[in-house]
Amino acid sequence: MSESAGEVRDLVLTSDFFLPAPFCLLTLLLPPLSLGAPISTAESITQAYNLALNMQLQTSALLQTYVKHQGSPFSDPGFSIPELSLITLPSTDMPFEIWHGLEDGEHLSLTQQAFWSFSQHLLLAVRDQNDINPLNDNSIVLDQLEEARLKAKGLAIKLARIMNTLGLPIPPANPLGTVPFGDSAFHKKCRGCVIIRDYSFWTDRAVTFLGELKAKYSE
Amino acid sequence: MALFAVLQTTFLLAFLPLRTYQSEVLSEPLPLTPESLSVSINSAKQCLHLQWTVHNLDYHQELKMVFEIQISRFKASDVIWTGNYSTTVTQNQVLHWSWESELPLECAIHFVRMRTMVDDARIPVPRFWSNWSSWEKADAQNSLGDHPLYVFPKDKLVEEGSDVTTCYISRNHQDNISCYLEDVLTFGKQLDQSVWAFKLKNISFLRKTGTNFYCQGQGVPEGVVLFVSKVLEEPKNFSCETRDLKTLTCTWDPGDDTGLIQLPSYTLFESFSRKKTLCKHRNRCDWQVTQDSQEMYNFTLVAENYFRKRSVCILFNLIHGVHPVAPYNLFPKNVSATNATMTWKVHSIGNNSALLCQLQLLGEGKVIQQHNISVRVNGEYLLSELEPDTEYMARVRCAYADHFWKWSELISQNFTTAEAAPSEAPDVWRDVMFVSGYPMVTLFWKPLSKVHTHGKILFYNVVVENLDEPSSLEVLSVPAPANSTKVTLNQSSYQIHVTAHNSVGPSPASTVAISGHPGNENVEEGRINGTEDGFPMSWKPQSRNATGYVVEWCDGPQNLPCVLQWKNLGPTTTGTVISSGAFRPGVRYNFRIYEISTKRMAHLLEKKTGYLEELAPSYNPQVVPNNLTSHSFTLSWKDYPTESQTGFIQGYYVYLKSKAGEKCHRGFEKTVLPDNSVCCKYTIDNPDQKTFVMKDLQPESVYEFFVTPYTSAGEGPMDDFRKVTTPDEYSHILIHIILPMIFCVLVIMIACYLKSQWLKDKCYPDIPDPYKSSVLSLIKSKENPHITIMNVNDCVPDAIEVVNKPEGSKIQFTGTRKSPTETKGTKPAYLDLLPTEKNYSGPGPCICFENFTYNQAASDLGYCGHFPVTSQAPHCQLGPLTSPENLLKTLEQNYMNSLGEIPAGEANLNYVSQLASPTSGDKESPPTNPPEPALCSEYKMQMAIPLGLASPPPSENSSLSSTTLLDPGEHYH
Repeated sequence: MSESAGEVRDLVLTSDFFLPAPFCLLTLLLPPLSLGAPISTAESITQAYNLALNMQLQTSALLQTYVKHQGSPFSDPGFSIPELSLITLPSTDMPFEIWHGLEDGEHLSLTQQAFWSFSQHLLLAVRDQNDINPLNDNSIVLDQLEEARLKAKGLAIKLARIMNTLGLPIPPANPLGTVPFGDSAFHKKCRGCVIIRDYSFWTDRAVTFLGELKAKYSE
Repeated sequence: MALFAVLQTTFLLAFLPLRTYQSEVLSEPLPLTPESLSVSINSAKQCLHLQWTVHNLDYHQELKMVFEIQISRFKASDVIWTGNYSTTVTQNQVLHWSWESELPLECAIHFVRMRTMVDDARIPVPRFWSNWSSWEKADAQNSLGDHPLYVFPKDKLVEEGSDVTTCYISRNHQDNISCYLEDVLTFGKQLDQSVWAFKLKNISFLRKTGTNFYCQGQGVPEGVVLFVSKVLEEPKNFSCETRDLKTLTCTWDPGDDTGLIQLPSYTLFESFSRKKTLCKHRNRCDWQVTQDSQEMYNFTLVAENYFRKRSVCILFNLIHGVHPVAPYNLFPKNVSATNATMTWKVHSIGNNSALLCQLQLLGEGKVIQQHNISVRVNGEYLLSELEPDTEYMARVRCAYADHFWKWSELISQNFTTAEAAPSEAPDVWRDVMFVSGYPMVTLFWKPLSKVHTHGKILFYNVVVENLDEPSSLEVLSVPAPANSTKVTLNQSSYQIHVTAHNSVGPSPASTVAISGHPGNENVEEGRINGTEDGFPMSWKPQSRNATGYVVEWCDGPQNLPCVLQWKNLGPTTTGTVISSGAFRPGVRYNFRIYEISTKRMAHLLEKKTGYLEELAPSYNPQVVPNNLTSHSFTLSWKDYPTESQTGFIQGYYVYLKSKAGEKCHRGFEKTVLPDNSVCCKYTIDNPDQKTFVMKDLQPESVYEFFVTPYTSAGEGPMDDFRKVTTPDEYSHILIHIILPMIFCVLVIMIACYLKSQWLKDKCYPDIPDPYKSSVLSLIKSKENPHITIMNVNDCVPDAIEVVNKPEGSKIQFTGTRKSPTETKGTKPAYLDLLPTEKNYSGPGPCICFENFTYNQAASDLGYCGHFPVTSQAPHCQLGPLTSPENLLKTLEQNYMNSLGEIPAGEANLNYVSQLASPTSGDKESPPTNPPEPALCSEYKMQMAIPLGLASPPPSENSSLSSTTLLDPGEHYH
């Protein structure tokens, strides 16, 4: 258990984004668990739920800002590319019944892996945007993507902590390999859309699941 | 001839190596053909890159050659471009040439071939082309994957306004693919079975993240991003300067941002020294001045981006472009009331060159002094003619003295000069009121202007000098910021001197003279009209020795406390315009014009009153209708003050409404009111007339009236009409008749009431008095004048009857009655008077009954209950009553006896009414001889007498035949 927790901390410290401001934000996201007394599982779940809720609220704004800066067709009303998917992204194909039938441990494990993956994909989206416009004057997109990335990472850490307190094994945090579909600016724009779309899906799923878990542990 | 030429050329080519050798140019024989041609594709630049060599050239051979290049698309036979490329070729040189394709190279297979020809002047014409090389194929599609749809070119940089060709390759030959530039559907041209091309014209800049071109079939949209750059502008306002003759700084305006990923580069090139530097900023570049005393510089600024290059030039003389650095350490030194010395320092420039510095002195934001000073290191300047106690700003800037080009930045410093005594006397005026014959003077003065105070005014000194008593001097000190004080004087002449003091000293004195007596106030008041500028007024001088004039007025309305204002005018002035920001339309202002004598005495010259602008009256008078008759009534509004209105009241309008269609009365005119109703209007043009009699009205009619004043600006507000109903014509008659009648009836009734007793006595008395009977007079007059009423002296009282009524009411003792001594003088007794022949001394057989003892007091006291009979109580006694004393004795004895015989409560005194007959009065009484009324009888009315007079005075010469005394403590039934 303690090894897993240490692994989570290492993930934070070995983050490849060492800008001071995001670090400050990240420290805000991190609960005082690592420094103070341990908090209860219920409280951990509540914190994770609150964070997921906050992410869910911001996801819509993130998507709108993103597509607005990419131009048509991305900014067209009703634009969607359901056929497009990234194999490296967490799967969104699992039917609801199957997802609902999983155990809490499996839910936690899948969700933790998903948001760890999203934190890396969102970093990729940041880099793609920097490639498209190196002058960085569309900073609002970069700011929101960066915020989402940090929150995704923070949620992954919180979920790992919950799994730790529940005695569940924490899946290894694999680094992101080569992500397909991104050799041109158009593809990079598409890739960002897909990442944010799936991030939104998983955020909704996390809010629902953590809400149920919170209810279960607050009884 | 042609054959000859061909032979000559062949000959030359055959022997060219030999000649080359001879001239050290050619060593190998011809033919010269392009070989090793290879074609590569640069997708980023959409270029076909050709590379080849020319064989058969000698080592030292150098020939100018021309290459004809052909490019085909899709098929080798479809040549789309042919062009020449000329260059000088040496031995084993690898030649390069690029061709930029309009169509993205990925969308089509390209074929390239070339041939060559010597184009050297040393080779005589005619010249021949070599053979074509074989077609070289350039196929970018080999590198594509297995996606069904591809769009090209990827991430192309495009200059705004240019044309771009895009294309797509559909691997599965879909024919329902639509392509859009952003959100605009675009139509293309099919180049091949699976390739379509789209010519996008005049591309515009949309955003820095590029412009999207995408195509969509059945699956995922595929697209490209065109990164559009704005056209690079030529740098504007390119100029250079130096601040220290060591470093040059050139600046320019780069224009709008191109918005492209690739920023334009700026390079500064100097042609004399042939040096150049790559600028680190978009709009500025530094250039180090060398020590070789180069004065002239020819700079060229080159701006360059992916698409174009722009340059601007400037010829710059170093000495002519010196812009010194701002001076520093600017401080005031030795600041007095009127002078100050400013010091500052400058940065050295070049070889300690001189600078021209400009020192500016600013007061209230305006430059009031400006001085130029030549400075090498330290600057100093004495500023003079300054105002005391004034804040100034000094600022300095410097320029290169040898050649002025530009001032340095300014530095500034504030300072304040020292104080000095006020330079001007305060403007003083006075208001004199006489209280009990003594003048009470209120002195007013205006604050000195900032220009004259020369410091903060601390107090005002008021010196009152009695001219009639030179030794009398009074000094008042009024602390600032007060602007008035009161002084009570006696009936002497005074001069009052007022000075303003600051920390340095006093101002010159201002003097006013006061006479101990009121002046002439009876000056006619004139009217003036205000204008936009104020109140223009003029006056006639009274004295030739006037030293000036003063116009005084109050700024506020009359009903507010007076804020006294005045204006001093010179002795030659006979008119002015009084203006004030406080003047308001519709307010009456009164002006008084004084003439100032040589002794500073003020004499009232004229009074003026007026309005800045007359307004219509703001309210209407309260009109009271009175004297209402059937034909008239009077309207009165005497309380309406005409002096405090918003204009000069010129009169009043009286509006009258009566029955519709009725004609207006004489003097009235018909008018239409704002509500379109018609009424009659009478104009009173005398503002002092505040009553109006409405005549010739109809009785029993309703009239509505309304009175409003009017000024030159109009009439007052339209209020509600008041109603008056005239009474009918006879009502006054009724009033004149019925009211007096009612009054008379009332008087009569009151009189009757008051005289009812008298009337009763007169007309129907309870006990008839023969003396008062009218019958008597009739008898006297008609029958016998000697017949008269029998006198009492003729009567003989008979007896007093004591009635014993055992079964009657019992006398009770309550124990709370008055003592008998208190009622001694009014001993009551009820006696039945019986006639006694023995004591009869009267002239005839008459019975005289006279009762003097009816005691009103007893009755009034209300002793109605039974009371005890004490031993002191008088006794009833029968006996001769020849005299009052006898009667009393008799009564007393009888009474006592009876008490002794009759138990208390069983005996009583019974009074027999004079009207009642003895028989009917008490049937139980013993039969006596009743009086014979037929003969003669006399009755004296019962009288109420006071307690003290209850007992008949003994001296009274009355012919009492019987007396009944009643104790107030007793009562009878």
